[in-house]
Amino acid sequence: MVDYIVGYTIIGVLLVFVIFSILVKKRVLFGNTPGMQKVFAHPLLHYSLRRLGSSLISLALAITVTFFLIRAAQPADQTCAIKFSGPHITEEMFNLKCNLWKEEMGFNGTIFQQLINFFYNILPFPKTRCLTTFDTDTMLYTVEDCRNFVIDFGKIYFLPGVPDGTYVIDYMWPRMVTSFKIGILAVVLEIAMGYPLGVFMAKHKDGVVDRIGLAYIISIDAIPGIAYYYIWMALLCGLFALPRVYSADDFTSWLPIILTMGFTGMAGIAMWVRRFMVDEFNSDYVKFARSKGLSENKILFTHVLRNAIVPLVRSIPSAVIGALLGTYFLENIYSVEGIGKALLIANSTKNASLLQAIVIISALLSIISYLLGDIVTAIADPRVSFTKGD
Amino acid sequence: MQDKKIERDDIFRIYDETVDVEENVEKNVKELFTVVGTSPENIEHLDSTPYSYWRMTFKELFKRPLVIVCLILLFIIVFFTIFGPMIKFYPPIQVNGGVVEPSTPLISPTEYPGYYLGPTSDYWFGICGSNMGTWFAGQDMWSCVWIGARLSLLLGVVVALIDTVLGIAIGAAWGYFRWLDPILIEFRNFVNNVPTILLDILLMQLLYNYMDKYGFLIIVTLLCALGWLGLAGFVRNQIIIIRNREYNIASQTLGTSSGKMISHNLLPYLISVIVTVTSTAIPAAISSEVGLAYFGLSFKISTGDITLGQVLTNAVSGLAWMDYPYLMLGPLVVMIPLTVAFFYLGLALSDATDPKSHR
Repeated sequence: MVDYIVGYTIIGVLLVFVIFSILVKKRVLFGNTPGMQKVFAHPLLHYSLRRLGSSLISLALAITVTFFLIRAAQPADQTCAIKFSGPHITEEMFNLKCNLWKEEMGFNGTIFQQLINFFYNILPFPKTRCLTTFDTDTMLYTVEDCRNFVIDFGKIYFLPGVPDGTYVIDYMWPRMVTSFKIGILAVVLEIAMGYPLGVFMAKHKDGVVDRIGLAYIISIDAIPGIAYYYIWMALLCGLFALPRVYSADDFTSWLPIILTMGFTGMAGIAMWVRRFMVDEFNSDYVKFARSKGLSENKILFTHVLRNAIVPLVRSIPSAVIGALLGTYFLENIYSVEGIGKALLIANSTKNASLLQAIVIISALLSIISYLLGDIVTAIADPRVSFTKGD
Repeated sequence: MQDKKIERDDIFRIYDETVDVEENVEKNVKELFTVVGTSPENIEHLDSTPYSYWRMTFKELFKRPLVIVCLILLFIIVFFTIFGPMIKFYPPIQVNGGVVEPSTPLISPTEYPGYYLGPTSDYWFGICGSNMGTWFAGQDMWSCVWIGARLSLLLGVVVALIDTVLGIAIGAAWGYFRWLDPILIEFRNFVNNVPTILLDILLMQLLYNYMDKYGFLIIVTLLCALGWLGLAGFVRNQIIIIRNREYNIASQTLGTSSGKMISHNLLPYLISVIVTVTSTAIPAAISSEVGLAYFGLSFKISTGDITLGQVLTNAVSGLAWMDYPYLMLGPLVVMIPLTVAFFYLGLALSDATDPKSHR
């Protein structure tokens, strides 16, 4: 009961806030109060609201298309036949089990009923879900583990090491945390290495470091990811004897993954920064500063770097948020229990709800990260404004 | 402040008094030029060499020594994909009465458990170790690698061609017709929002459900399904930038048709971009196939279709390759030069095809 009250209160407050700020913006309310106008009609706020509103269409599209794709690619009857049929299982028992599974996974009814049910489950308002299990000995259904959800992603079946009927969110959450811990360290590393490298390469253009860096960037872009990751594995695990398998307690076993991700991401950042800085060095304000007699170091640190920080700042939110989703190749290579690995396991064990949850979360995160990138750019760069007509 | 003003006025005064501009100019002209008179025959004659776009492009391209190295590397790889198996070949597949099945391994894993043979005079890249799945165990690496490279190369070229054609056609329409913009942007949002590997997996299973056979067509469809989007988006942005230039508005006012506008006015402007993306599309397609193969989404080996991705995936499954590095060296020695050479050629072409560098 408490969950319901809290849930509906939060939804209500959010709705009231959005409607109120739109009304203030349209000058229906507080049209002549500068303080209220400044806070609730802020261009950034309204830009975010507009973007979020239009992103809802993209989100709904992503969910719907993958919903149909998953059902077309992995028909429920086919999964039933693989998972439940066996030498000692009668047709009656098979039907009982299969129907219960379909019921719990949301595979019952026509495909449009399934879609409506699915959207009902993921719309963010409080609802209660229970788990129904079937005991083959006593032939009894039992209802257990009732819980209140705001967003219900469904349940997991047939996963090795996980009891049937586990809620998706219970399975996803620790994996997201694992992916994030590794990803965020890698992001810090790649920015800490890539940015200075890019600046150095641009400053000493056509120097030795620049040439080596460019060769490295080209080879990272060109060599297939798998080959590249295994070369790093040979280097880190073979030469420096780091552990080959990830374990949560041992930090040295995190190092190969973090270093590989860091050195890969570094190339992209360095290339971006270098290209941007080389362009800036040819721009008029730098020529002017140079003709005034400023030293090259002063030009670099007080003028060019300030401008070059803008594209970097823009990429940070998406890098940080992207860390939540993990990497597909590296998590599989080092067997990290993260989201990237969960996706492949979900596919091979035909867990439609888990796949769908990953799609929803990744779509949400990518929408939020693009929006945050724009907002951070607007804060860092005074030339950007989101008011109409500019 | 006051002092400075006086100083500046002084300078002007001095300049006005001492320098007679007209006289100076006349003097310079007389010193620098000699009048040769008019000659009606030579009016149409140009003293500079005639400019040809493609000749200048190739001249710029072959200025770089690395381009020559890349071309030689590519030539060697293509030579061996055609003739390598002819030089020394242990067929990895035997056909018995129309039924394709794996050949007997050259060295039986049961006979020599865990036996990994390094490069010898007979097996030039060594033998695939017994950890390499059930199929690759004991096969000759040299044969596997070159057959794989052949299919990978073919796949890369076909996919790159299709991607380029689709990308240019759709991108040009996307940029030119404004009503297409919301639809395709929504499609791009969709692809950005959903994990690519998941889309690949689902499309693969879907195609498998209905076509029931892994084959060249399915892999090409899979790689092309999303591959054109990058180029199309790029072409779209460029076209939007140049769409409203004066020469295009003039053409439109004179009643040029849309197709002709795109093919004659807009696309020639983008030739540099298109050439670059096409040449980097080949290594990109080869890399994508390697990624798919790692997740088991590539060809079925039992039908005899081997790619570099599958050879590599099988080599790195298990950890034996760390003790026997030649397991991985075989495929890598071919894969890395192939992709890097193509990629560098693409970058060099992008500089060479840019008319601004032709001066």
